[in-house]
Amino acid sequence: MKRLTWGFTVLVALAALVWAGAPAVSQPKVVKIGDLGSKVGVFEGYGKYQTWGVQMAVEELNAKGGVLGHKIEVVSEDDETKPAPAVRKAEKLILQDDVKLLVGAVSSGATLAVMDVTKKHKTIHWNSVSCAEFMRTTKFHKYYFSNQPDSRMQANGLAKYIVDKMGKKVYIFYTDYAMGQSDGRQFKTALEKLGGEVVGVAGAPLDTKDFSPWFGAINQSNPDVLFVAFAGTDSLRLMTQLHSFGMTKKYKMAGIDCFLLQQDLASIAEPMEGFVQLNHFSPYNPDPNMQAYNARFKKKFGTDANIAAGSYDAVLFWAAAVEKAKSFDPDKVAEAHEGMCVDNTHIGRQCIRKEDHQVVMDMHLYQVKGGKNLPIARIAGSDSIGEAMVGKDPVEGFTWEIKKK
Amino acid sequence: MDYLVAVLLPQLLHGLVFGAALGLLALGLTVIFGLLGVMNFAHGELYMLGAYAGIAVVGVTHSFWTALIVAPLAVGAIGAVTEVVTLRPLYRREPLYGLILTFGLALVFREAVRQIWGGDMRRIQPPVTGSTPLLGMVYPNYRLFLLAASSILLLAIWLFFTKTRAGILVRAAVQDAEMLDGLGVNVPRVFTLTFAGSAALAALAGLLLAPIFTVYPQMGVEMILLAFIVVILGGMGSMGGSVVAALVIGLAQSLLTLWMNPQRVAIAIFALMIVVLIVRPRGFFGREGVLE
Repeated sequence: MKRLTWGFTVLVALAALVWAGAPAVSQPKVVKIGDLGSKVGVFEGYGKYQTWGVQMAVEELNAKGGVLGHKIEVVSEDDETKPAPAVRKAEKLILQDDVKLLVGAVSSGATLAVMDVTKKHKTIHWNSVSCAEFMRTTKFHKYYFSNQPDSRMQANGLAKYIVDKMGKKVYIFYTDYAMGQSDGRQFKTALEKLGGEVVGVAGAPLDTKDFSPWFGAINQSNPDVLFVAFAGTDSLRLMTQLHSFGMTKKYKMAGIDCFLLQQDLASIAEPMEGFVQLNHFSPYNPDPNMQAYNARFKKKFGTDANIAAGSYDAVLFWAAAVEKAKSFDPDKVAEAHEGMCVDNTHIGRQCIRKEDHQVVMDMHLYQVKGGKNLPIARIAGSDSIGEAMVGKDPVEGFTWEIKKK
Repeated sequence: MDYLVAVLLPQLLHGLVFGAALGLLALGLTVIFGLLGVMNFAHGELYMLGAYAGIAVVGVTHSFWTALIVAPLAVGAIGAVTEVVTLRPLYRREPLYGLILTFGLALVFREAVRQIWGGDMRRIQPPVTGSTPLLGMVYPNYRLFLLAASSILLLAIWLFFTKTRAGILVRAAVQDAEMLDGLGVNVPRVFTLTFAGSAALAALAGLLLAPIFTVYPQMGVEMILLAFIVVILGGMGSMGGSVVAALVIGLAQSLLTLWMNPQRVAIAIFALMIVVLIVRPRGFFGREGVLE
């Protein structure tokens, strides 16, 4: 009887051990990260590549054992390119999926709205596509980081080239919401500071179908350079229509980062010929780091990389910060980010500025030749980033008024 | 001279191209109003159906030209069935019934299209590509084709109403349907065919404008507002008035954009409509008493 009890006790103890130990042995710990962006609509291409960038970084990190001993899982959500669904999906990712990092959104309007959510729930938030100017100034919060050159960085980088090499009389045509307005403001400010003359400005709503009603005013202003701040399918339509009215040949053309994905360039190579664009990635850049990154991307997805480089780097920065903090605690991870440098980004070593959490990224100016973005100049991140202006309006006292010369 | 060619001429052409296409849409709307006394809120959806029917036909035949014939016929048939089944029982009631009915029809058509084709924007490639140098400026060939096609259609419609027996019957029905009935004409059939014809015309306008404006379920809503303005300015029920008003709106819109943002131009045009409604409800060419 005694032996039976003893045997039973051992059996129970063994069973308890197996039950308690099993999950720990067969299932590694998991940490989730959220990917929020446009999967439909005018910016759907950007949302798709943001997801691919995140997936590639996660795959590489998981192959090396994940982060802090946790396997990383990606949860992707569509924000329909609108602020309200973006907020809803961000809440879902944070409260339901318990993501420790949120990457997104694509449209600046959506990202600005999501910033309130990540601030409220203390969630690390990386933006790698949106470029409105207020995210690292008036809307800035402790948990927000960005490696997307914002309007101010782009304006600082591109305006000098336009005034020096392309022409002094510039017409600014922008998409009339957060991103385009921000680009328009910053470019007008930068151009006028450098002695350029803004001869006209106009905004067209997001997702405009026919741009021709705006062309009369552009022709009337007779600029040297037509500067366009659009993105996604808007850019495709705009360039096709400008070209059919002979305006791509009549004016020198320049545009913002994100104006067109490299993938779309081939289909409108002729209208885009000669177009000068600031960009943080091109498969035709001979930079060895970019080439190595592109080779890995192409092997995985069968196409050249593009803005996907941004979300890829963002996940690497976050993982490095978590390792440094030795914790997923958002306050500790946010502090670990500040001033941190990472060596293996798509362009090599990059650092995060402590004051406004902006990555000091080198950018390139590209010119389209035969459907390819060929680099024409490199602009150091330190030259374009400008002073940190947390809590301040970056273009205080700005006016759209055209100064007649 | 440079200013004239580089700035004014393209704007004038824009205005004419858009005005002529708008005229096709407004013409159907005003004829239906004049004849049936119904303000057809579903007219924009018939315009939208034309574009989607075009996508379906192009998908099968790969020919825009075939679509240009088949799509309006298909939408015309839908129009005929709609008139017989839904509108006819309401003719003897208050005009408000027709208004609410067509509003409902608009929702049904729009959501049906969303169910079948989804809400995404679709493109139809223009059948005519390239641009033509014109007096030192460049103008897209498709827009020139659009201007020519709309002008020919408007002329054909004018000939139909003035020179053919069928056209004269429709005009007579607009003037006095009861008298026509008394003279032994099958008035219900005139009503059905007129509604079908107007639907086909709207569909044609939808398909012709599709390569420029792209195709999406809401496309009719945006156009129908302008078409209503045209009909009100031209005078409810006045065909000539609609064509003139469409051209005036098209030209005003494109010329005003030289001095103000196109979004503000839209506001200005709506304001003009409000003023006309208050000061001269019959519009420029409308019959007295239609709205007074």
